[in-house]
Amino acid sequence: MRQPLHSLLGTVLAAGYLPERASSVAEGVDRIFGFIFWLSAFFLALILALTVLFVARYRKRPSRTEPEPSPSQNLRLELVWSAIPLALVMVVFAVSTRTYFRMSEPEAGGPALRIQVTARRWSWWFEHPGGKGAGDLHLVAGRPTELVMVSTDVIHSLYLPDFRLKQDAVPGRFTRLAFKPILPGRFTITCAEFCGTDHSRMTAQAVVHPDQASFDAWAREGTQAAATLADVGRAIYAAKGCIACHSLDGTPRVGPTFKNLWGKEEKLADGTSVRVDEEYVRESILKPGAKVVAGFANVMPPVPLDEREMQGVAAWLQTLRDGP
Amino acid sequence: MTTIAGTAPALAAGESYLEHGHGLRSWLLTLDHKRIGIMYLAAITGALLLGGVFALVLRLNLWRPAGGLVSNDVYNKLFTLHGAVMVFLFVIPGIPAALGNFVLPLQLGAKDLAFPRVNLISWWLYMTGAALFVATLVSGGIDSGWTLYPPYSLEESRGLGILLALSALFVVGFSSILTGLNFIATIHTMRPRGMGWFDLPLFLWALYATGIIQIIATPVLGITAAMGFLERLFHLGIFMPEYGGDPVLFQHFFWFYSHPAVYIMILPAMGIVSEVVSVFSRKPIFGYRFIAMSSIAIAVIGFFVWGHHMFVSGQSRWASLVFSFLTFLVAVPSAIKTFNWLATLYKGAIDLKTPMIYVLAFFAIFGVGGLTGLFLGALATDVALHDTYFVVAHFHFVMVGAELTAFLAGLHYWWPKMTGRMYGETSGRVSAVLVFLGFHLTFVPQFLAGVAGMPRRYATYAPAFQANNRLSTVGAFVLALGLVVALAGLVVSLFRGQRAPANPWGAASLEWTTPSPPAHDNFAETPRGNKPYDFTGLRLVSEDAGWVRAAGEGRG
Repeated sequence: MRQPLHSLLGTVLAAGYLPERASSVAEGVDRIFGFIFWLSAFFLALILALTVLFVARYRKRPSRTEPEPSPSQNLRLELVWSAIPLALVMVVFAVSTRTYFRMSEPEAGGPALRIQVTARRWSWWFEHPGGKGAGDLHLVAGRPTELVMVSTDVIHSLYLPDFRLKQDAVPGRFTRLAFKPILPGRFTITCAEFCGTDHSRMTAQAVVHPDQASFDAWAREGTQAAATLADVGRAIYAAKGCIACHSLDGTPRVGPTFKNLWGKEEKLADGTSVRVDEEYVRESILKPGAKVVAGFANVMPPVPLDEREMQGVAAWLQTLRDGP
Repeated sequence: MTTIAGTAPALAAGESYLEHGHGLRSWLLTLDHKRIGIMYLAAITGALLLGGVFALVLRLNLWRPAGGLVSNDVYNKLFTLHGAVMVFLFVIPGIPAALGNFVLPLQLGAKDLAFPRVNLISWWLYMTGAALFVATLVSGGIDSGWTLYPPYSLEESRGLGILLALSALFVVGFSSILTGLNFIATIHTMRPRGMGWFDLPLFLWALYATGIIQIIATPVLGITAAMGFLERLFHLGIFMPEYGGDPVLFQHFFWFYSHPAVYIMILPAMGIVSEVVSVFSRKPIFGYRFIAMSSIAIAVIGFFVWGHHMFVSGQSRWASLVFSFLTFLVAVPSAIKTFNWLATLYKGAIDLKTPMIYVLAFFAIFGVGGLTGLFLGALATDVALHDTYFVVAHFHFVMVGAELTAFLAGLHYWWPKMTGRMYGETSGRVSAVLVFLGFHLTFVPQFLAGVAGMPRRYATYAPAFQANNRLSTVGAFVLALGLVVALAGLVVSLFRGQRAPANPWGAASLEWTTPSPPAHDNFAETPRGNKPYDFTGLRLVSEDAGWVRAAGEGRG
């Protein structure tokens, strides 16, 4: 993901450390970054150089016990060193704001790919055009994209370091992020707004397809075939975010693992036990607090499912057993 | 007037404030601003140690990408309490309440603050708030981050710890308001004869500007805490979307206080720097009026920049434009101050005592902290850097690095006045160097991690960031060692330190004209105002007798 030194003039040092530039805005952002970087570097060097120089020259020592006479004010000097920083920060403000406003304008290059984003603890869900939902974000290189974002619980923030983009997903309102990916590949998506236990594991991938055909091929996968009940269940698992807390490989996370769960006698927090069957699964999905498994916190939100979806989950859980 | 400085120690009869009254009760119910300052100092030192231990556990957990020292939930509680304790119990009250309380009346030649009882109430409110924070910790803690953003913080499933934390904010806020009120009233009404506004020591200009922020911004924190409290209990629908509220509204209220609060932290620090840089260069401060007025400018403009914390929250881009503009504007007074400090060094006779070394460290750290703020005030770059480790590093440079070095500069500078003992120069200088190195080792790698895309508040992280995090963890321990050396040096000096003369540094402001430590009533006779940066006529008699102003010289 990291690439060696960019050779772009003037941003060698700063940009060499930056992530890849996977969106059309990244280059403009990096140019501002480089500008501020060198401006800051100059002033920091000035401050440090003057400090070191003055301390070295004017340090109190046997041959220098008293200061030399020098004025304690100078209006012209004050105005100069007020005006120069003022002018410079106004330049930074102007160029940065211009780039930011360009970032938020619609991109040229055809109709935007509109993707509905749902954030919830602790996973992302992306509904792509054509009804294909996925835990990863699929994009097309060169095609303008608009993400329409909601959160079902707390505030999250979709962060694409390689795209230089970030947008909060706020419960109770829609937020938007428009951009154009330019580099095919896989890039990291993280959550940047603190959201609890697994905040740091709320990651996904942005998969940028090289062209529309590749995206379309992906979008058709799996959607045409008649789905079995177990397929419905598996899709619910990803789409509703169960994946964030319930593993499939036997490791307990925030909630119990689904591996070998079906048919098991579960010990509950209140000391009783229950057999995992259709009825228990239904109750645990609709009223998660009713029978909490011992050793786990009562943190799961209710997940309203229709009957076919409920059947699907039960059918799918049965496929997750090792034995018969 | 006759100059009392030289002969004051012998003349000012009577016991020092430390011997005026004995026993715990004589401290806890004291109305003496000096004793209240010392009690604040003890309390904030405790807060610093508590918050520091939290920080070290956090850094140890980040030694490995997968964490593992503590669970994610415990990590989240630890960083929440680290932030809350450091911000509300150490950094905000640190310089004004501890050092300001002690020094302000002395610099005015006054007997006490305008409202001594209110001052005592402030301290008790602070302690009550601190007790509520500890109760929050004992009752299971909260894990929402010190920013307490709803809906997360106010969810039913998070328990009632949040109510304790909000109560703590409310109470601590009142402590801060009363302190600010007291300082402003005192500076207005108790300046001695002959001391005009532009004869105030710059530390007092800084405390005055801080007071303005404290009394205007802090009530908003109290109101926000109260609204959060009621929302959590009665579901009024202010902040929680499920009851029809707006979580972003909370962010506006929170930052309307908490951004100016950054200036509550840094303005008094700048005040200390202005005092120390002048005294230890043996030169009048350069550009007095510009430094004084830039404190006021920062306090005023600082009220209108809060929206720069919310550039990616869904805020209108036109609002973001205005907030970005004002943010750049508030950078200018800080630049002006910096140049004036540097000009003060020019042609001076720079004495590298511990306070001055801390101030030189401040120049570098505040330089980095201020300049990296440009990246975050700029809209284009903030979008990428917001909520990453770049922000963490930036605000630690300002709120920890700059504030802490200035605090330690001020603490060493006024230590002889407060305790009557000279601290040891060796341990002081060693601590300053360790703090400087440890601080940079801790936070420079965090800038790099942030630029590369590591979000903040992460209990675990991608393996690519391991090197940054390990350097940072090592640095945190070096920094802690530096602080331990400083603390140990100061504590040892209480018992072994040389007796301090009235004026060990050759400073010209009024607190140095009374014995160290001062008597209960501060001054044997009310002094006249003087020029606080006029060092003419001050001569070092001996290490034991300190500096004495020859009669008739200077405008003392």
